[in-house]
Formats: sequence, C-alpha cells, structure tokens
Amino acid sequence: MTLLETSGLVYSYPGGVLALNGLNLKVKRGRRLAILGPNGAGKTTLLLHLNGTLRPASGQVLLDGAAVSYSRAGLSAWRRRVGLVLQDADDQLFAASVAEDVSFGPLNLGLSEHEARLRVEETLAALNIADLAERPPHMLSFGQKKRVALAGAVAMRPDALLLDEPTAGLDSHGAAHLLGVLKKLEATGTTLVFTTHDAGLAYGFAHEVALFAGGQVLAQGEPEKVLSDTALLEASHLRLPLILGLGLKARACGLLAEGAPLPRSGQDLELLLEKAAARQLSI
Amino acid sequence: MSLDGGIQVRTAMPAADRVANLNRWRRKSLAEKSALALGMLLLAILLPPFPAALVIAAIMAAAALIGARAPAGIWLGFAAGPVGFLLPGAAMLTVQIDAGGIALAPDGLATAAGLIARSFAGLTCLLFLALTTPITDLLAGMRRLGLPAEVTEVALLTYRFIFLLADTAMAMDAAQAARLGHDGVKRRLRSLGALIANLLPRAMDRAKRLETGLAARGWEGEMRVLPQQAKLSVSGMILVIALEAATAAIGVFLS
Repeated sequence: MTLLETSGLVYSYPGGVLALNGLNLKVKRGRRLAILGPNGAGKTTLLLHLNGTLRPASGQVLLDGAAVSYSRAGLSAWRRRVGLVLQDADDQLFAASVAEDVSFGPLNLGLSEHEARLRVEETLAALNIADLAERPPHMLSFGQKKRVALAGAVAMRPDALLLDEPTAGLDSHGAAHLLGVLKKLEATGTTLVFTTHDAGLAYGFAHEVALFAGGQVLAQGEPEKVLSDTALLEASHLRLPLILGLGLKARACGLLAEGAPLPRSGQDLELLLEKAAARQLSI
Repeated sequence: MSLDGGIQVRTAMPAADRVANLNRWRRKSLAEKSALALGMLLLAILLPPFPAALVIAAIMAAAALIGARAPAGIWLGFAAGPVGFLLPGAAMLTVQIDAGGIALAPDGLATAAGLIARSFAGLTCLLFLALTTPITDLLAGMRRLGLPAEVTEVALLTYRFIFLLADTAMAMDAAQAARLGHDGVKRRLRSLGALIANLLPRAMDRAKRLETGLAARGWEGEMRVLPQQAKLSVSGMILVIALEAATAAIGVFLS
C-alpha cells in the first residue's frame, strides 16, 4: 500500500540550479526505503519535499493517494503523519534540556502536559537515553545528539519517518545501535525512509532502494536488483556494495544456488562460506 | 554546514555553565536557591557589615562549595575577578585629598573594610546562584514570574546559539591556524575578519535549518515545552528562612 508518492516533482534552488527534474518516488507502507545518491544529488531537498518544507515548482506529492494541501492546516496534518530527522542534530535541538526538547512535538500535537510527559519518558526509555533527560543539548556527544534528535521526531509517533543520512558521522557501534532502534520503531508501525550515499548501508538495511541522481529516481525496487545494475551505478557515481558483489560472485562460481537469496550482511556471508567449506570437506 | 567530518572541537562550554548543570544542588528548586541567594544578598546590603557580611560570606561560600560541591578552583577563579576591582576601589576610600595634600581619611580604614566585606558577601551570594542554577532555570523562573514568553524564548535561543556559534568559530579558527592563517599580526587580523564575516551567513543558515526542524515537529510560532520543574521542598525553604533570620539577628544584635 502506498503511503507517500511523488509524481513529476520539479524544483530549482534559488539561483536556478535544477535539483529535482521530474522525480517519481513511491513510499510503501512498512517497506524500509533507502534513497541512495551521491553527494550533492539533492537528497535532502527531496526529503524536504516529502514533508512539505519545500514546495515543488511543478509536480505533486500524494499522501495516501490524495494530493497534499500546502495550507497551514494541510501542512500541520501532513507533518503529524510524516516526521523528519535532519542530518545535523544541532539544527533540531533548541530547548534547555533533552526532556524539554522531546516534549516540543507532543505538545504541538495538542497532547496534555500529562500525556506529553508520559510520551517523553516512553520515548527516551525506548531509545536508551532516559539518563540524559535533564542534560542541556550542548552537553551531549555527537551520537547522543543524534539519538535525541531522533527521539524528538519519534515522540510524535508518525506514520512515516524521514531520516536524512541517519548514520553519517557515527562510529560503527553507534550506527549499529541506531539501526537497531529504527528496527524497533518500525515494528510499532512506522514506515522508514532514509537517505544515504552509502550503497552498502542501503543494501544491508533497506527493503527497497531508490537510486537518485541527476534530479530523478533512476530506478526503484529490490536492493539486489537495483544495486547489481552496474551501468546504473556507474551513472550515479556509486559502487557495487562489497557484500552484494561477493554474493554475486558466489552465485557465479556455483557456491550459491541460482534461486537462493543473496547474503545481506557479513554474517550471511560467513554462513555461506562455512557451508561451502563444509560441502567441500564432505566431497 | 556542520562540523561533523571536519574538525571536531571540544564544546566551548564555559566552566560556570558546566558546574551549574552538574552540581549536587542542580535539582533543588529554583525558589529555594534564589530565596537563599537573593535573601542573603538583601541582608548583606541592609545589615551593618560587621559581623553580618562575614557570616553571610561564610554561609554562602559553604553553600556553594560544601553544599552544592562546586569545585573550589572555579569558585575562586570567578571570585578573583571582582575582588581585583574591589580592593583598589576600597583602597581609595582610605585616603583623602584636599588643599593640604594627601592624608589618611578619618574612619577611612573602617569604611574601606566595611565596603570590602559587604561587597564580598554580595559576591558570594551571586556566585552561589551562578554556580548552582543553569541560566535556563532562571529564565523559566522569570517566565513563571510573568516575563512574556517571547522574551524568554528569544533569550533561550540566543543562549543555545552562543554555544553553536562558539563551536563553529573555534573550528574555523583552528582550520585557519592549520593553514598558517595566524602567522603574523597582519595575517591574524585578516583571518579574524574573514572568520567574523563568515559567521553571520552561517548563523543565518543555521537559523533557517532550525526553523525547518521545528516546523517538522509542528511548530506554529509558539515554543511550548514541558519544563523540568524541581519540587519545592518545604523543609528546605524553612531552613533557608531560618538561616536568614539567624543571620539577621546576629547582624543586628552583635554589630
């Protein structure tokens, strides 16, 4: 079921550089979508169209199949359902303490103080940052700020959450933790949409990949399919993800049956190698 | 743009702010802390300086250092500045200049000693407040006392932006130094000019992105958040009042 859809979006930056050039994208409910593109492709610009921050020069955004309204009430209703987490957490944190900052969205939803307080506590606990509740934002580490910014959006319980480069700048432990939190969030019914320039992340984490370059989505579909199209990757200045490349090689060498699923993670790959080795020993 | 990926600079957070946020009395209610600090300040002004000022200074220093466990080094560091102004100022009171030349002023030493004691007592009161209470708590308190939300919101955002801008400025400064922008006075001045010129568009840019972030969370012009209110402890408040009453009694009857 399609939750969000764009058709023929066109947008130029002030100054005339074309950012979106007839862009079509589908966000399906419950399908983790990676918007994959090189630096400067306009990924952030695209995200800002998906919650109504930017308005296209032409083309349409559809929410549940209906064209969105850019009126005050329309935008408000839209943003209740579609949350956004910016890449730089400092752009989002403004309040005196973490708990206050996270309470901002819920209060804007019209929740009572009591409900908002519960919502804040719940969200901070779910993201493992309850101990930071009273810290001011400038006393947080980079990774902590990212989690707090995420909490600010999550506390509003959106249907869809847009994340701009969620793992950028995080160490591998921090990134793994964040992805784990996002999976938990997804299990509660939130559809995740994230931008990234990391084909490996898109391949390993997304259910679906939209390859974005030159202001258009060049292809959208299963990660294996989209990301194994070398001509397409070349055209978007991206590279075949390592794990996918090795998986395809394994298939070509006959280590992996033709119909069997390709490895998605290092762990999958290890298993595959172990099995192959075991087979060889038994022969 | 942000600093991530570029030069990471340690947060330029002043020591006072850090102490105010992390001291042991951080969670005591604003009412108790401000009643203690402002009440004692008032007593320091009203009562004859001896012995009241000494008592007040001792109590307030103990409150900050022993009660709230503010680090002594930071406390002394902040006290040193004002005291540096106070001493020469008071010294001037001990002499008198008239047609006959310079002479010791009658009662000059007593006046100067009184001034020093009184001012120092007042200083310890304000230091206590500054080192135990974050500015955001003070703003929240002022809002409860009726200061318009617009004013406190602007003050809060300004406060938040000070740290962000300071971080950016420090990163740019380090980047300039790394490319030898600080070699020689002339180059250093030119670098500083470029830094300042760059800071404004960056600040504007950041403000715009902050607005995007807030709008995404349903902001429509009013910044409502749940304040973290500390519960007023009745026994604490009684203790504060008793302490002040005792100080006043000592100040009046023993002077």
